Amino acid sequence: MRRDQQPRPKSPPADFAHIEIGNNAQRLPLVLCLDTSHSMRGTPIESLNEALRSWTRDLRDDVSLSASVEIAVITFGGQCVNAWQGPYPLPPQAGVSPFVSAGAFQPPQLMASGVTLMTEALELAMQIVMARKQELRQSGLQHYRPQICLVTDGIPTDRNGHPTDRWRRLVPVLSHEQQERRFRLYAIGVGGVTSHGAQVLEALAPKFNARLEGFPFRDLLQMMSASASAEQKGAGDEVFEKIFSRFTQRPAWEH
Amino acid sequence: MTGPLGSTPVTGPAVLLDGEPVKLADRPLKAGGQAAVFPVISNEGIVVKLYREPPGADQERRLQRMLTMAPLGGRPTHSSQPPELAWPTQLARSPSGQFLGYAMPKFGEPEHVQLVALFGRSMRLRHFPQRADWRFLLGISWNLAFMAARMHQEHLVIGDFSSNNVVVDRDGFVTFLDCDSIAFTDPGTSEYFPCLMQTADYSAPERQKGSPASPATDDFALAVLIYQLLTGGNHPFGGVRRDSDSEATVADNIAASCSYVVLPQQVIVPRGVIDPVVLPPSLLELAREAFGPGVLNPAARPTARDWLRALNAERSRVQVCPDRPGHTYGSHLQSCPWCTHTAATGQDLFNEMTTAPSPAYPLAPAPAGGLQTRTALIAISITVTILVVLLLIALIANS
Repeated sequence: MRRDQQPRPKSPPADFAHIEIGNNAQRLPLVLCLDTSHSMRGTPIESLNEALRSWTRDLRDDVSLSASVEIAVITFGGQCVNAWQGPYPLPPQAGVSPFVSAGAFQPPQLMASGVTLMTEALELAMQIVMARKQELRQSGLQHYRPQICLVTDGIPTDRNGHPTDRWRRLVPVLSHEQQERRFRLYAIGVGGVTSHGAQVLEALAPKFNARLEGFPFRDLLQMMSASASAEQKGAGDEVFEKIFSRFTQRPAWEH
Repeated sequence: MTGPLGSTPVTGPAVLLDGEPVKLADRPLKAGGQAAVFPVISNEGIVVKLYREPPGADQERRLQRMLTMAPLGGRPTHSSQPPELAWPTQLARSPSGQFLGYAMPKFGEPEHVQLVALFGRSMRLRHFPQRADWRFLLGISWNLAFMAARMHQEHLVIGDFSSNNVVVDRDGFVTFLDCDSIAFTDPGTSEYFPCLMQTADYSAPERQKGSPASPATDDFALAVLIYQLLTGGNHPFGGVRRDSDSEATVADNIAASCSYVVLPQQVIVPRGVIDPVVLPPSLLELAREAFGPGVLNPAARPTARDWLRALNAERSRVQVCPDRPGHTYGSHLQSCPWCTHTAATGQDLFNEMTTAPSPAYPLAPAPAGGLQTRTALIAISITVTILVVLLLIALIANS
């Protein structure tokens, strides 16, 4: 399935900038928590890869976001949950931050297979956000409220691929953390996500959940950028809801 | 449910400008929470800003009144200087006549870059290669202060003054983009149009608490922008307050009136933050007033005119580093602060490579570049002289 011919190193180079010196902008950690399970095979994963590439270019060209946004990718597929530092998969417990400045970010080339460890992926997302905030603060850098974007076309499963209810343990945690303004979670169902799948997303992210036809990854990632801009501006909650509602409402000029 | 985003039309929104239908590109240049800015296919010189939600009668009246005004006009500018305001030129309506937004001149990349690009090293080097030295940044500061002072003189309040809605061209001229949010009183009808937008990192504490935008809140934002420009991008309310909770932001530091420029012992700052004394004493004094007593007391804030006066005095005194290209600094310093910074961090804020001093500047990369630079510098200095004279005349006439 891998399309690009260039060999990719298996691990990040040692000099990969952990915290970019000379850039003291307030940071905005952004985690893409992406479903790469079996059902994403074929066109969906290809269009996700393509959307990640064009989003990366757009972000790099955005002088405001590229200095501030830091991206980490988490995938849940195969038999496990993976954190990526740009294009490089990190070994578990690597002790390295997966966050890469948007100006230097390169997307991973994702492949789809396996099960849907959504619960574990969200737990890892919360962990890396917490760790990153600590690193930034120790370096004297402030951060905006981080964004976690969960994208799935299925329902949470265990390691054997059986549907599981373990995600329920996350609901009170997520609710508490968001009340404390520690991050904002977006949960988006794509493709043929079932109504049960949609219910899971609604429980995880009561305010920012959606069920979209097809695989509009490009628009979805643009929405994350728009939210990041609003966060930079210090917008109120209603603005984020407005930006998100673009998934279900058309703007004035299309009426 | 159909995927609403999948239904994005192949052609852009249909709008009329002065009754004439124009074609917009299908994808906006910029899309924010409130509005999106579209290129016009048949006219590269303008863009159309469309509001996401029907903007309402107030906004329509505001734009209509703005079309009758020509602020910051009526003065000779250097032929290469763009307007300082991206002022609305036409209303945009739907084919059925509904008010949707407005057209304005286009100030886009690569000619015009958001001010924020000057704040980070890599961005600065990428967008302003071999141009953005400290002297250039000082000139931009002057241009910002001049624009703000003249707007205040014309009873306009910028309101949402930030590094994102000001663009800079390669000669350092500035243009303010989001004119539809400025606060003003219509001279004809005396109707007051408030500024409803703000950017947290540039909002004075009273603005954060809901007070209307005022010249004093502009002055606060101006002080932050100038400080950022002159220190290679360091926000004066950046850094982590020792007593703060884990989610404290720049805006929280502003609200707490805690700036490392005034209270260095209370803030942990990132490695490589420039020492505030890189500012010449007169400018440092203004910064300390603005980020000390001036945070909570608007009356204690230096005004745009105060900044303008102090910046004016410094512009003629800039020193050039004998050792490294791109290093210029204030007359008050005994040695080059940028060389010191390079030695301390291994990173040259104004040059791509941190290597041994190289002699030729600004001759590289091509003779034409050097010539252009010199022409531009001459153009700037002529313009500045003209503007200073005009300002003095205006000040005298006003007093």
